[in-house]
Amino acid sequence: MSDPVLSIRGLRKAFGPTEIMRGVDLDLLGAERHALIGPNGAGKSTLFHLISGHLAPTAGTIHFDGHAIGGRTPQAINRLGLARSFQITNIFPKLTVFENVRLAVMRPHGLAYTFWKFIDRDRRVREETHRLLELVRLSARASTVAGEMAYSEQRSLEIAMTLASDPKVILLDEPMAGMSNEETHYTAELIMEVTKGRALMLVEHDMDVVFALSDRISVLVYGQVIATGTPDEIRANASVKEAYLGEEVSE
Amino acid sequence: MKTGLLLILAGVAALAALPFLLSQGLLNAAIQMLIAALFASAYNLLCGQAGMLSFGHAAYFGVGAFGTVHAMNAIGGAGLLPTPLMPLAGAACGLVFGAIAGWFATQRTGTYFAMITLAIAELVHSLAPHLKGLFGGEAGMSTMRMPAWGFDFGSTTQVYYLTLAWVLASVGLLYLFTRTPMGRLSYGLRENSHRLRFLGYNVHGLGMMVFAISAMFSGIAGGLQVVSNESANYVVFDPALSAAVVLNTYIGGVTMFLGPALGAALMTFFGYAVSDLTQSWLLYQGILFVGVMMFMPSGLTGLIGTTGRLRQRIGLSKLLPVVLLSIAAALLLSMGGTFAVELLQRVFSQDYRALARLDPGNPWPPVTLLSRAWSPASMATWAVPVVLIGAGAVLAWVGRRSLNQAVEQTVDQGAAT
Repeated sequence: MSDPVLSIRGLRKAFGPTEIMRGVDLDLLGAERHALIGPNGAGKSTLFHLISGHLAPTAGTIHFDGHAIGGRTPQAINRLGLARSFQITNIFPKLTVFENVRLAVMRPHGLAYTFWKFIDRDRRVREETHRLLELVRLSARASTVAGEMAYSEQRSLEIAMTLASDPKVILLDEPMAGMSNEETHYTAELIMEVTKGRALMLVEHDMDVVFALSDRISVLVYGQVIATGTPDEIRANASVKEAYLGEEVSE
Repeated sequence: MKTGLLLILAGVAALAALPFLLSQGLLNAAIQMLIAALFASAYNLLCGQAGMLSFGHAAYFGVGAFGTVHAMNAIGGAGLLPTPLMPLAGAACGLVFGAIAGWFATQRTGTYFAMITLAIAELVHSLAPHLKGLFGGEAGMSTMRMPAWGFDFGSTTQVYYLTLAWVLASVGLLYLFTRTPMGRLSYGLRENSHRLRFLGYNVHGLGMMVFAISAMFSGIAGGLQVVSNESANYVVFDPALSAAVVLNTYIGGVTMFLGPALGAALMTFFGYAVSDLTQSWLLYQGILFVGVMMFMPSGLTGLIGTTGRLRQRIGLSKLLPVVLLSIAAALLLSMGGTFAVELLQRVFSQDYRALARLDPGNPWPPVTLLSRAWSPASMATWAVPVVLIGAGAVLAWVGRRSLNQAVEQTVDQGAAT
């Protein structure tokens, strides 16, 4: 496989005396789908926050595409080509679905502080917005107010917004939460398709999805990666079974 | 959309015809209404569209006003900046000061943002009287409108048309701004600035620019006031002006683009018409604001939208009685309320207390209201507001009940089909 596009070394994050990340080492390769699993409170979302610039690390380094991004602002990291979705749906609830995606599409087209042209006249932005809506099967909902849609549709909207900047690396935080089987199936295929040629890091609780989708899996327990490997290796790993998978089975 | 455009064209035509219909005094009031409408529209860009509640917008209005006064005195209406273009000086001052203040204020959001804007406005307000060279001290600064482009700007009519042209152009630009990429982003800023960050936008820079643009149009409004009054006084920095623009904007309704402008025009007109008749105008303004916020939070223009939706839902034949009942109830309630306020205001006034002390035998001399004498000691006097308010409340209750019934019926019908 290719060189790592995202490389994390000795990453630590403490909130006061509480250490959430206790020295994480992790590599995300150029075009792999990498799932992050672990029990609740293991620090999966915190790791996403640290990578995407929402939180600054206490110690350790994060390298993305040759840049040290630890502690940089979210907008700077996004511009380098790293986009993320959120565990708790994070959209513009009172704007239409079309408007939501268009806001995400504008920036990569160099339209942010522009006040001398009309956005409706920009064909590239409009076409790209429609393409993304079609991709996540929301074309029919384009003029719906986003906050009034079903939760699973809002999750799809999140994915469209995350894809809008054509990022090198995508972080998806529980993209299938609240979806039906059919929706999960479609979204899994969608994720397979849109992540061709780019790297994906995924947090997901649906183990079937995780094992079907991932090239590699890392297991995070109490702020440390206890194992990284292919789905088969992870399935066979004794300490993983003990720490996480066994726990799931016994429940 | 077509009807909207026609309505706006009709409105513009009516505004253009006003000088032929109104007296000089009323035309002066119309100028103040236009300026207040522009100020509220500029404020709404920040507050309604970008979701940043500023409590100190008088600062930018005032800076625009003083910038214009100084420009008028320095240039004297000659050269590159003749009288009709003077508000540009206000725009420039508003923009620069707005960018500086906005850089600080938009570091924070929500309550903290509001507090910073309040602090900046207070800073300017308390500093202004001491900087006599800049703000003219107690007396303020005066100036003269110089003739330009074949107009002498000596008559109210000419000043009215100048103000109208500026206000229409500015409000038009503010509307067009909502359709640009940055205008759309300002909605995103209001809805979820956190998400914008993760889409790669610099939220602070964006907020600062929206703040500066809003301050620039506020500065134009300030400049227009100076062109109209030929003077500026540090009183423009008064917190009351900051408060008025917030109240006007919300009374008009932040959900529609023209809502704040209409609200500001209406309130300015009432202020002009009523302030001679009563000493309690500020109280009425407050009551009106509280009433609007409690019973129609989307403002007066939001009421139009609500009525339209109800018409689609329950039909005109059922809606009409409700509308008539509501109007009658509103009239009765305001009549009763006004009567009670005016009566109380007179009874508690210093003059009345002095009058009562003069004649110890009669502690409750009659008060004059609506060219009639009313005795505060008589039950009949107080029965008037009580009956008016009571009747209004009953009508409001009946109206609400018939509306609920009509809505329930349509829901039942919808369920049946």
